[in-house]
Amino acid sequence: MWKTIVKKEILENILSYRFPLFSLIAMILIPLGIYVSQLDYQKRVRDYDEQVRLAAEAASSLNIQNVMAGTVAIKGFRRPALLSVYARGFEGALPGYYEFTQDGAKPGESSSAEESILSVQGKIDFVFLIQMVLSLIGLLFASDVIAGEKEAGTLRAMLSNRLPRDSILVGKIAGGYLALWAPFTVAFLTGLFILSLGSFPVFGGDAPAKIFGVFLAASVFLLAYFTLGTMVSAGAPKTRTALVSILLVWAFFQLIMPKLSDMLASLVYPVRTETQVSLEKSLLAGSLGMETAKELGRRYDLIFRSAPPGSADDTESPENIKWQAAKAEVEETARARKAQQIAAIDETYRWQKRRQQNFAVNLSLLSPSAAFARIVADLCGTGEMARSKYAEAVQAQSRALDAALFSKVKRTLMIHQDNKTSLGFSAQPVDFKALPQFTIAPSSLSDIFRSNWKSLLSLAFWLIAPFAAAHALFVKYDVR
Amino acid sequence: MTEQQPILKADDLSKRYEDGVLALDHLNLDVRPGQVYCLLGANGAGKTTAINLFLNFIPPTTGTCTINGIDVTKDPLEAKKYVSFVSENVMLYGNFTARQNLDFFARLGGKANLTKENYYHVMRRVSLQEKAFEQRVKTFSKGMRQKLGISIAVIKDAPAILLDEPTSGLDPKAAEEFLEILAELRNEGKAILMSTHDIFRAKEIGDRVGIMKEGRLVMERTREELQYEDLVKIYIDYMRSEPLTA
Repeated sequence: MWKTIVKKEILENILSYRFPLFSLIAMILIPLGIYVSQLDYQKRVRDYDEQVRLAAEAASSLNIQNVMAGTVAIKGFRRPALLSVYARGFEGALPGYYEFTQDGAKPGESSSAEESILSVQGKIDFVFLIQMVLSLIGLLFASDVIAGEKEAGTLRAMLSNRLPRDSILVGKIAGGYLALWAPFTVAFLTGLFILSLGSFPVFGGDAPAKIFGVFLAASVFLLAYFTLGTMVSAGAPKTRTALVSILLVWAFFQLIMPKLSDMLASLVYPVRTETQVSLEKSLLAGSLGMETAKELGRRYDLIFRSAPPGSADDTESPENIKWQAAKAEVEETARARKAQQIAAIDETYRWQKRRQQNFAVNLSLLSPSAAFARIVADLCGTGEMARSKYAEAVQAQSRALDAALFSKVKRTLMIHQDNKTSLGFSAQPVDFKALPQFTIAPSSLSDIFRSNWKSLLSLAFWLIAPFAAAHALFVKYDVR
Repeated sequence: MTEQQPILKADDLSKRYEDGVLALDHLNLDVRPGQVYCLLGANGAGKTTAINLFLNFIPPTTGTCTINGIDVTKDPLEAKKYVSFVSENVMLYGNFTARQNLDFFARLGGKANLTKENYYHVMRRVSLQEKAFEQRVKTFSKGMRQKLGISIAVIKDAPAILLDEPTSGLDPKAAEEFLEILAELRNEGKAILMSTHDIFRAKEIGDRVGIMKEGRLVMERTREELQYEDLVKIYIDYMRSEPLTA
């Protein structure tokens, strides 16, 4: 019997003015949004290729003198994410590259640095269209699913037949949703077709699976909103009441909840900025460097104070051998101390940041919109996973370059007891052609689903809970 | 000849709403195959409440109502197999054509696989104009909607039909045509329970007429009895009489 209701719902929607209107909106906005995003992606890839080429050229003329002079900065670039055509996510906010020097990794500028305030506030990508436009249309479609039938009296006519109420509810949700989903699917496929026309590698690697994942997530998200709208409609006596309530629900879940969670998290768990942490580390490194220089100067003066002239330059002299051992001991102690203290600062910062982010994520997942955005951004390689992977890659590259390049050159600064300073260099051979390449590990589908279990749970909740509530309201509805 | 069993039966049926209002007070009535039972009464007399109870839209406070021997409260879905319902303002889907509406409600009534010709036949039978068959219902007059409503009841072919003030707001010609269709359905053996304000048409079509006041069935007459009595006078007398005591 519910199939009859499904057919009727589809037919009723198709015959109404809103179906062609929605189809038109979806068919224009989604393919157009994808097309514009594709052009933007192609430009970013061209910029990336050019930057990589120029950096490779600069790297080819590197020598050990540059390293000793401290003028070497090796850049590691992040290639634009292929599926950023669907979700921009952090794409614009993440630095386009990192610069690796003896003093550590420094972020380059992000692509959003040159954008206007309007662009930074949110670009019109597929996720934006689904979150802000289609979700609202889905809710509006659902506003009269039950309330409209109540108001028109057709529910009375339906219920005078041998028709269980849950069949009506299931049929109405299924039929109403299909009327929404069909134009969305056509628009999505059109967007995909446009991508394939533009030589976009839609069918390469795991892209098809991820694109299907994006489509699936968007379909589930729209169904969750449609069910939410049905719940409101089942509880409202009139379509107009349902409509007003739906707009409030949409504004809360779409505009307020996701933004509120970040603000609340920063109030509940305040964390210092990355710049503050970086400055603290620099101060610590400077202070430890000065202490080490003074200790080296003190030891040097102690060893060579009563040594015969020329013994400092004689590598075989007993004083010089003693000095080399003392220097190695001081430098090793200083290195270990510096590493330990910087690691402690980093660990504290990361722990505080993680706690704040977890709080924000958990809070935001009360909104299906945030759950959807997180899943899709991760599928598209522009979400929090991509940011973490980027940060991990930067740390790994720092360590690798330190071992392969920067540690080969040692600078020894000494502050003597008479406050005079001296600077010494020692260098080992470096194979510049074999320097480690900067790579970011991609996220597999299983990684993405494992990392997004909370978001998946949130979407599942927003599918089941409104349906259960709609069912409870509809079963109790007094059909008089 | 043995008397046929009633299709519609209310047995000591009462309904008191949550706000304490007693809308129906120990109603007893039955409608047998081939009978039209007209319930007369002022607004709030309990006519619609009785129909709502038969359709299980609301549960009774006491008593039972059965359709074709099935207790409506105990097995509402089974009971609804045997009843069709036409309301005062026939509720239809405005964007659907007459045939599409008929098709949808026929399917809900358990009549799948009907052909276009089947639908046309039923609509012709209730005298709906041929050109209206494929027209959207939102353009229909009240009389046309009412005809389509009765065609839904006809196509379901249930043994019982409940009509809630079906002639209200119809022009005399449309109301007369409506009664002709009812008479045909009665002749086919349908048991029809109709609530109405229209005393003249109740007398014309009703095999039995009951007058309700403040939830009680205060009078019941057969067609034969009404040949010798003035229904209008009886009705007015009851309406003017003192309120009933609880």
